[in-house]
Amino acid sequence: MRRALRSGRPGLIGSPFKILVLNVVAWAVGVLWITPFIGIFMTSIRPFREVVLHGWWSPVPFTPTLKNYVDALFNPMFSLSRGIINSFIIAVPSTLIPVGIAALTAYGFARFSLPVKRYLFVTILFLMAVPQQMMIIPIFFLLKDLHLLNTYLGLILVHSSWGIPWITFFLKNYFSLLPVELEEAARVDGATDFQVFRKVVLPLALPGLISASVLQFAWVWNDFFFALMLIFDPDKMVVTQMLPRLKGQYQVDWGLLSSGSVIAMLAPLLIYALFNRYYMRGFRGWAMKG
Amino acid sequence: MAKGVRIAGVWKVFPPNVVALKDISVEIRPGEFFVILGPSGSGKTTLLRIIAGLEIPTRGSVAIGDREVVNVEKGVFVEPRDRNVGMVFQNWALYPHMTAYDNIAFPLRLKRMPEEEIKKRVTEVAEALGIAELLDRKPGHMSGGQQQRVAVARALVKQPDVLLLDEPFSNLDARIRVTAREFVKELQKKLGITTILVTHDQADAFAVGDRIMVLRRGETQQIGVPEELYSSPANVFIANFIGDPPTNIYKLPTSHRLVKSLGIPQGVEEGYGELYIGIRPDEAAALKPGDEGHLEGRVVLVEYVGSRRYAKVDVGDGVSLKVLLECDANTGDPVRVRVQKVHVFAPSGERLATLTY
Ligand SMILES: Nc1ncnc2c1ncn2[C@@H]1O[C@H](COP(=O)(O)OP(=O)(O)O)[C@@H](O)[C@H]1O
Ligand SMILES: [Mg+2]
Repeated sequence: MRRALRSGRPGLIGSPFKILVLNVVAWAVGVLWITPFIGIFMTSIRPFREVVLHGWWSPVPFTPTLKNYVDALFNPMFSLSRGIINSFIIAVPSTLIPVGIAALTAYGFARFSLPVKRYLFVTILFLMAVPQQMMIIPIFFLLKDLHLLNTYLGLILVHSSWGIPWITFFLKNYFSLLPVELEEAARVDGATDFQVFRKVVLPLALPGLISASVLQFAWVWNDFFFALMLIFDPDKMVVTQMLPRLKGQYQVDWGLLSSGSVIAMLAPLLIYALFNRYYMRGFRGWAMKG
Repeated sequence: MAKGVRIAGVWKVFPPNVVALKDISVEIRPGEFFVILGPSGSGKTTLLRIIAGLEIPTRGSVAIGDREVVNVEKGVFVEPRDRNVGMVFQNWALYPHMTAYDNIAFPLRLKRMPEEEIKKRVTEVAEALGIAELLDRKPGHMSGGQQQRVAVARALVKQPDVLLLDEPFSNLDARIRVTAREFVKELQKKLGITTILVTHDQADAFAVGDRIMVLRRGETQQIGVPEELYSSPANVFIANFIGDPPTNIYKLPTSHRLVKSLGIPQGVEEGYGELYIGIRPDEAAALKPGDEGHLEGRVVLVEYVGSRRYAKVDVGDGVSLKVLLECDANTGDPVRVRVQKVHVFAPSGERLATLTY
């Protein structure tokens, strides 16, 4: 498979002219994407005066400083470090819970037969398409009745249930691609259904599980909407809620805001870098059969 | 103590209407090396999977020893994990995330055997199979022959009552195939374990089988020891399928010159307008034109198989026979064909008689 792809490459790109055009387009898109990020980064590591007077792109004068970062992290009013801790408290269980549950559901869909399986699966596909804005009012009242408004648990439950449908869909496809003989061999070797799942299916599906976890983590980390609606206690606010508060009351401190954005970005970037290898494999396995 | 396997009236229909097995009944004896032989798609794997419990028959029953493991009519079904069978899959199905050691230990760990005992058993079986040095390797770093041995070790380590092998040689190179056959046969004799092997290759079947069952389109064609299948094929299909080079088979009217010159007795051909005539290349010879024989012909092709020479002889009327070449005739030379044995089949396929001259 991989060889087929590689040998397919030259045919895809072909002539030098095509290569040139592709390169120009790719670089242009790349620069467009990366420029704002560089802007934020430069703004965050120099004094605000310098940025206002000369612009973030100007090479001189250049006085690198970590002041913005320190201010953002330890701001007595809106401590970003508290926000980061809160984000972790929310995002870790909101990743592990739905991935664990969806793995079981997905395996059921992939390998077992039950009467209304097709309809159930269609329902899941449908749930994936429901917009957040449509659900937020009922969710709000539901949490209120459960006395879970403004609690970590409430937000974790909402994120978890939001994640289960798409992760189920994602993992069902992944499990379906695993060779079924391995599971049959395990059954003959003496394994129960659950042992087959735990000792053979889960280890083999690790790249898929990691891909799903990375995506779900990033999604929960980046979420602003749910957190905004369901958490109001400043001590419990997540990092995305803290960010706009760094703006200040009378004047926008762009240096502070930029350093806050960079800090908030770090966690998903780190997770992605850490699991990059598995993450890519997870998609490769998912995207191609055989 | 080895256990036998009794298969009684087994049918398997895959939805919507693929009939994979039709009323299969056979009794496999304790300690026997039993081979299921048939072309691809004949239902061999399906039968093996039914014995293992991976497939449920549409009708019929299977018993291992005295215990029924499945009986559709009585609603009996024993899960694969409780049947104590070992199975080697066609592609070996080794767990890619585990070392050879962990693969072999897997069935024992599921039984919650103490690690020391596991280590003893794994080492024992690995030494018997000559894979002791491979135990730390993962399947991806082994050759086909090595993977096969690990798969056999995993199937044997729990000391199963029955060993099931699905085309165990088909993924091996021709060269190690012969060694692998000998090895499996010797191992089976040493352990005395009831073994059922599935193959589409008659050479495999004849090399290892105590008895062979031939399947075709889900139907039993014949069950017997290898010599029986060769010397008295139950029907045209078996005569055609078994033997190398393949049997010369022609469907001829009873009035045909060839039928006459072979002197088939009146009683045999009575009531049939046509007959199948089967002559094995090894049971007929091309001799010098002056010699005594049944047919005149002309050599169209000479072929060497090992130390033997075969001639394709055109005996007229569109019939040509491949026979042993026992004179120094060349392409184009006239020869006389002497036949030692002829199998005669009815138009429906079943054997009517075997004539020896
Ligand atoms: N799971 C299945 N669903 C539908 N048809 C099947 C299934 N498994 C096997 N068959 C059909 O049953 C027949 C026998 O298959 P199989 O037992 O694999 O044959 P063999 O092992 O002799 O090649 C084939 O026609 C095959 O297409
Ligand atoms: Mg098969």
